Amino acid sequence: MSPDILDEAMEIWFGPQHVSAHGWATKLTLVGDYVVECDPNAGYFHRSAEKVLEYKNFRQGSLVLERMCMLEAFLAEYPYVAAVEKIAELEVPERAKIMRTIMMEMSRLHSIQFWWGQFNAELGFFTMALWPWVDREYSLDAFEELTGSRHTVSYSTPGGVKYDFTDKVLKQLDRAIKRFEDRLPKFRDMQMGSPTFRARTKGIGQYTVKQGLKWGLSGPPIKACGVPMDLRKDAPDPNLAYNMCDWEVPITENPDHPGESDALDRMEQRFKEAETSVQIIKQLLPQLPEGPIIDPKARAKANRLPEGEAYARVEGTRGITSLWLKTQDKAQTAYRAKIRGPCIASYYALKDLVPGAKFADFIVIFGSLDPYPGWWDR
Amino acid sequence: MGFFSVLGDIYQILKHTFRQVFMRPFTYFFPFEDRIYPERTRGRHIHVRKNCTACAQCVRACPVVAIRIDKEDKMYEKDAALYFDYTRCIFCGLCVEACRFDALFHTPVVDLSEGDRDDLVYGPDKITTLDRDPLEWRGRRFR
Repeated sequence: MSPDILDEAMEIWFGPQHVSAHGWATKLTLVGDYVVECDPNAGYFHRSAEKVLEYKNFRQGSLVLERMCMLEAFLAEYPYVAAVEKIAELEVPERAKIMRTIMMEMSRLHSIQFWWGQFNAELGFFTMALWPWVDREYSLDAFEELTGSRHTVSYSTPGGVKYDFTDKVLKQLDRAIKRFEDRLPKFRDMQMGSPTFRARTKGIGQYTVKQGLKWGLSGPPIKACGVPMDLRKDAPDPNLAYNMCDWEVPITENPDHPGESDALDRMEQRFKEAETSVQIIKQLLPQLPEGPIIDPKARAKANRLPEGEAYARVEGTRGITSLWLKTQDKAQTAYRAKIRGPCIASYYALKDLVPGAKFADFIVIFGSLDPYPGWWDR
Repeated sequence: MGFFSVLGDIYQILKHTFRQVFMRPFTYFFPFEDRIYPERTRGRHIHVRKNCTACAQCVRACPVVAIRIDKEDKMYEKDAALYFDYTRCIFCGLCVEACRFDALFHTPVVDLSEGDRDDLVYGPDKITTLDRDPLEWRGRRFR
């Protein structure tokens, strides 16, 4: 790049006040309409979650985690609960395992519906923003009926779950899934068949598997390249019920550019993710056994934990979400906790991915990776 | 992509739009009407002093130190007065879960708005009852 071009360069901040920049800010250097440098900045959403975890006892800790990403609260709170269960060696009843898995998949479905609307709103297709959000209300109704709260669900607890399914909850879940299944094919055609949408996303933010793995991407952004990398299949958690049902890891392989993914592929990938979630929920619901939902001794055991450390992870909506927890002997709070959110990788991938793209495509690239600020500011 | 296909798309959109006209609105005329909240809704608390044993488990369970207990203030033989600070409360439900004497419950009342910040600290007179003073503003009664 000749120095003459950089003389005309303009630096602008995308966020933190921009409407689609809820808690993040990226410095962009523009030459004309093209981005030549992208500098993602973390820290605008920082709430010291890791430090806060050192002051909360083992039943309170999951509340911090679910506030890291409220769109996938059932999934977000799980790594902490799993880590505590590992250290305390708690047994989880069969019913609780299945209920957890069902709600985690519902959470994934809800998160994808939200992302779908959000992404379209960012692109300016407001009709397709509102329609998935209407369907999302049905999932939220089910969450509210089950836990008493729409977003901050506080559902999993060491040794099981807090709230049991009632007939009304099952009806709400059924209604949410039916609604989604009815409307998905129609919406999908509208979305993927729209020439404007295709023109804005095809070939935008394209990267290879090698690049993606180098940046540390996981979840849909890497599965959209055709890599079946999924923790639910690769390392099934014994306290979840993913191996009790029959499903395939959803991947997207585009014949035009095998081993690579663009924004359009990532959209397609998320539809497949949502379909897989529905498939898993529909298989697990009839398998729900009778019995307790929590280990009766869990409350006493989780009060004070022995010395130990545990690493727990879960396949979140946006990628691998994990937590490392260290405890001291007979301590009531964690000695240290380290959270690995999936989005820090996808946010810093922008540094290499955006330069060369048009300014208007920046938000398409950003949105297609689905980063959530809570996951990189912890 | 021809003229008729665009017309078809427009028809699809208009069909959806006009269908919404005859449906119940998704919104409520809030202070005057509200939706029915589920039974498990974690709204404001109610403290049943008759059952309370002043064990302070709710105070210990609270992750945000929103509950204060005054063991001197007794109405019955064993109970205590609770002060809930709703500027801090995150409605996680741990206090209700911790109570083994059926003395503390969530209610489906989620409208906690107050004109003054200090009014959000619910003392024993407010937390033990669901009755509230009517809120009037410019001659209109909101609750």
